[in-house]
Amino acid sequence: MEGGGLPGPSQSIQVSGDAYCNSSAAPLDAAGSSSSPAVAKLRKLLFRRMLIGVNDGRYFHGLFHCIDKQGNIILQDAVEYRSAARHCSPPTEQRCLGLILIPAACRSSCQVDCSVEEKMSLLGLE
Amino acid sequence: MEARSSSSAAAVPPPPSIPSSSDQGVWADVSPLLAAACCDLQDGELVHGENFSLFAAMSALEIMDPKMDSGIERSRYNSVEEAIEDGVAPIPLSLDRTLDVQRSIDVMDHLFSCEATWHKGHTLAQTVFTCIYLMRMERTSSHAVLNSFCRILRATCNAVISVVSTARTHEEEDLFTMSFGLPLRDEGDEKCLSILNSVEETISRQLRACKAQALSKKKTLEGLESLQDNPDLEEDYCRALLCRLRFRKHFYHVVMCMRKPHGRGLELARKHVASCLTELNLMLKSREFLKSQSSTTLQQGDGNCTTASGCQPVGFDVSLNSRLLSPTPPRAVKVLSWSDAIRYFERLLHDLDVICTSSLDPVLENVLYFIVQFQKTVPDLVPRAFLQTLLVQDGKLYGEHLFSDVISRALSLPDIIGDKEFQMNEFVVQLGQLVVNLIKILCTNTAWQRRKLGKSLQDWSTISIQLELALKREFGETRNVLQNENMCMRVSKQLLIWTQEHAYWVAFRFLTLGFELDLYSPGEYCMVYWYMYVVLTKLIEKMQLRVLAISETSRRKGKKKKDHSKDSARDITFSSSCLLLQCYLLLSEGLSMMLAVLRNESRSFQLPSIFNTEQERFMQHFDLLLKARVPEHISFYSFKESSSRAGISDLVKYNFFKEIQKIAPSLRGSFASESEKLAEVRRIEQVAEHNRIALNIINQVGAGDPSLRVSFEFTHHPHFAVAVVKRS
Repeated sequence: MEGGGLPGPSQSIQVSGDAYCNSSAAPLDAAGSSSSPAVAKLRKLLFRRMLIGVNDGRYFHGLFHCIDKQGNIILQDAVEYRSAARHCSPPTEQRCLGLILIPAACRSSCQVDCSVEEKMSLLGLE
Repeated sequence: MEARSSSSAAAVPPPPSIPSSSDQGVWADVSPLLAAACCDLQDGELVHGENFSLFAAMSALEIMDPKMDSGIERSRYNSVEEAIEDGVAPIPLSLDRTLDVQRSIDVMDHLFSCEATWHKGHTLAQTVFTCIYLMRMERTSSHAVLNSFCRILRATCNAVISVVSTARTHEEEDLFTMSFGLPLRDEGDEKCLSILNSVEETISRQLRACKAQALSKKKTLEGLESLQDNPDLEEDYCRALLCRLRFRKHFYHVVMCMRKPHGRGLELARKHVASCLTELNLMLKSREFLKSQSSTTLQQGDGNCTTASGCQPVGFDVSLNSRLLSPTPPRAVKVLSWSDAIRYFERLLHDLDVICTSSLDPVLENVLYFIVQFQKTVPDLVPRAFLQTLLVQDGKLYGEHLFSDVISRALSLPDIIGDKEFQMNEFVVQLGQLVVNLIKILCTNTAWQRRKLGKSLQDWSTISIQLELALKREFGETRNVLQNENMCMRVSKQLLIWTQEHAYWVAFRFLTLGFELDLYSPGEYCMVYWYMYVVLTKLIEKMQLRVLAISETSRRKGKKKKDHSKDSARDITFSSSCLLLQCYLLLSEGLSMMLAVLRNESRSFQLPSIFNTEQERFMQHFDLLLKARVPEHISFYSFKESSSRAGISDLVKYNFFKEIQKIAPSLRGSFASESEKLAEVRRIEQVAEHNRIALNIINQVGAGDPSLRVSFEFTHHPHFAVAVVKRS
């Protein structure tokens, strides 16, 4: 099959990417993660469903993949929602985008999908 | 808790239509947590899972980046309906009837420019379908002129998409056929011609009436509804509309005729191509009048106008469809100017006309020659797709000749044309498939074509090895038992020679395409011409073997007298194509030797070896050929050995360029009736003559003279360079 050719290069890419992470991010991980309860909590939210609103009124829904110090977030399997035409049903229009990066500057809201109890604990432990 | 959530969720609550995971699930605001965590993170630290790869993360689409995010709100409208409500695309286009006609023409012209832009490799959604009238065609039903135009345009686009996607010549231009769920067809599109015809009829009657009125100087037009209100302008507007509508009609016919199986529509298509060109000319002529009528100052500089009048058309919105393009980054589309669009269509029609002149000749050599000739002008995607659909239909040549028969014809074995056993032979089946692939590859764009040709060489060589083995297995090692040779063995032998010949043909095309794509640097010409010389030697050898085998076969059969004239005609064709190859061979050998001499004696044309060695370059260029063993036993060292021996005295003694000048006259004689081949012979002669003189000068001055400056230019032939000698 065609796919037979793909693993080669992508694997090598994977390796180089990981190598990069290991060299720079991993040591920091070991040092930094234990230092802050907020970071530890955030880490627990990885792979959870997240809904992010941006300045122009759109929402992005996807799995929480990564965040950096500046607050830029990467979502996996993201779907874009926007309000559709004035009198139209359904009231939102959606399309799949895949992997997206939402810069902190344009993020207006950020929510995670959870149970009621968890919501309380999330808010309580701030 | 209530208070907390209300304060922290000061952000807008998520739209109710986005569901949370379960019934009990809720959306919890985590912005404060994010802010806190980010403060605690160190510089460069990331929070990520185990499957995270920074490299993969780089390919994430950046939201709100205008170059990546196609969803950014740029249009004032969320949907086509909103735009229509706001009066972006009014019907009629103006209540002033004169203005209405004027604006309709602008819409037509802009659509025409959009169509050309689409053909040039942009998406349909960002070009033709930026037109709101096309998006909601039903609205135009009250506007007969616009409706008929849009309907036939849409039908044409649809037909062109189907041709291109069947031919699959769109290679990297794969955006071409994506329709993104656009309203591409509708009931009643098959009636587009009759609708257009009736509109055309009405307008042409009106035009005739205008002329008659001008003659009789009557004031009123009886029984006819005028196009617009100003009688002085009526005639010109009629003309401007008519040529646009008629162009669409004829172009639609061209597309439809060329899609007919077995090339049956080609003759009719040529007539419509001619009519299209006439109408294009009339469109150009109407420009003067339309410009004079446009009240606005020019849209931009003349070079950027997408309409004949220079006015910005109404009813278009570029950003409405941008979100249809799925997650691909938005591509900036610059619509071609109207004059460029005219030029594009002229070129397109000319290319289509060339295809229509195809003789539907089932001889493979001629088919290959036809494609190669056609590709010389670097035609665009659409004509290439039409050529391919004509050549290969239903797995048959022109949809009517089985490729096994094409091969048996190439072997000059008329007895086995249609022979079931031959057709079913696994080698013949495989070779047939290879020929189909070859034809399809030859119809693709040059860069793609070269790469695919190089890869296909492996298949050619594999099958020729298999054939050779089978031949040995079945008939033993003995090669010279001519007396007892049976039909089966003869066929196998000829098949093998034919296969090898085609492998070399492919290799030769692969090498020459490198020149067209500018892949070789002057320092590499020496090895390229050397390789071409090696390949050509083999190609000629195989060709002669094939001719020999064929004449053997016909001699055996003791043909009747009347067949002899046919045979000799064929022999002449063979010998002339052989001679032509001989010229290429001499040119390649001569150029390669000349470059080797210059390298050996004046140390010019040496490769700078900072980044890679000469051997590495050799591998980069010829790796595919070496892997496929085309030809066998060739390596960098064979090149090194032959080039290091080259000396000026030998080169002058065996003057290859003079040799060509001896062959050329007889070639000219046999190509007397073929103007293209004659021109090729003339080019070869020019290259030979220039190089002969250059060689003499180099010899007189001495190749080692430091004041000697030699450069190579492709002024006379795209593949064979001419040496330019200067003294500083």
